[in-house]
Amino acid sequence: MRTKTKRGSIAAGAALAATVLIAGLAAAQASQDAKPAAPADGMGPLALGQAAPLADTKMKSVNGKEFSIAQTQGAKGTLVVFTCNACPWAKAWHSRIVSLGNATMKRGIGVIAINANDPGVVAEDDYPTMQANAKKSKMAFPYVVDATSDVARAFGATRTPEAYLFDGEGHLVYHGAIDDNAKQPDQVKVRYLEEAVNALIEGKAIAMQETKALGCSIKFRSPKT
Amino acid sequence: MRRASGIALAIALLAGCARRAEGPPFQAATADRVLAAVREPGARAVLVNVWATWCPPCRAEFPDLVRVARELRGDGLRMVLVSADFDETLPQARAFLAENGVDFPSYHKTGDDMMFINTLDSLWSGALPATFLFDGAGRRVRFWEGRQSYETLSRAVRDVLQNGRGTDSTEVKT
Repeated sequence: MRTKTKRGSIAAGAALAATVLIAGLAAAQASQDAKPAAPADGMGPLALGQAAPLADTKMKSVNGKEFSIAQTQGAKGTLVVFTCNACPWAKAWHSRIVSLGNATMKRGIGVIAINANDPGVVAEDDYPTMQANAKKSKMAFPYVVDATSDVARAFGATRTPEAYLFDGEGHLVYHGAIDDNAKQPDQVKVRYLEEAVNALIEGKAIAMQETKALGCSIKFRSPKT
Repeated sequence: MRRASGIALAIALLAGCARRAEGPPFQAATADRVLAAVREPGARAVLVNVWATWCPPCRAEFPDLVRVARELRGDGLRMVLVSADFDETLPQARAFLAENGVDFPSYHKTGDDMMFINTLDSLWSGALPATFLFDGAGRRVRFWEGRQSYETLSRAVRDVLQNGRGTDSTEVKT
């Protein structure tokens, strides 16, 4: 009886171990296949490897049409830049963002610039000024209004400008600054975002996947309750 | 002799007025220089605030910062203000300091942004304003990103002044 019980325990234990092993392997495979969940509740910054949150949210662009992040996705990736009109850092980097964005679009990476600022805080961040800036700088990609600031919250974005680069499968591969010198373009030593874009297109490893720069805080609209 | 003294006094007064209008002079500072200012002896708590004139939440927060500095200076609080203005807006920054009655040395951030940010706190995204509270031994005890209220700042500083160090002290990388 004891032997039978022992054999039964061994068999049950083996079955349990096999189940755990199979489940573990399946989970490991699934974790490799699936994109990690994005922090849609806006808690904490988007981590490398995560997908763009609220990617289907439609936002009004400067040409009057609505775009979502998903709609701008390119075959080789998507570049999302949170920026605005009024912030001195956004102004200082604006021409470089437009130049890089326009060139990047032609290389198979979709580009979208998002203004999440409440113009009630800084009037210059309003839609007509966005239109004027986009036209004047010949911005060829959508410059949209995050009318609730919820997209910026979901990304965990905090400042302008702040760039997020996703690969062709939608995983975040770069997050941070445009380059290492906002005010003096001729003294830039490392073009963080451009180098990340180049590496992504060339299938190489991105040397610096997370960078920082000082910037204006995003002037979030009050969340709807 | 008396006339000469009068002229000298008038010049000194005019110079003083001019200085008050311009505000206190800036010293260029990397994060290491800021931390050196934090660790200069004589303070029992140090509040570091990184701000800029064109940053609305920074300007809104400023009177509360200055109020905390004035109220608790006698108890051992040192305030270290670091402007992140670009060079062309430094005159406005000095004028802003003068308007707010800042009469202590102040700093102007210089050098690489990312090194500056990560040296002060690796959790700081780089958004302004940012405020860091240190105890008398130079240990960072609190960090805030975004505008804080007078009550929040005052309570946190008083806690450090009364207890010697905060409850969640963290060493700052140098």
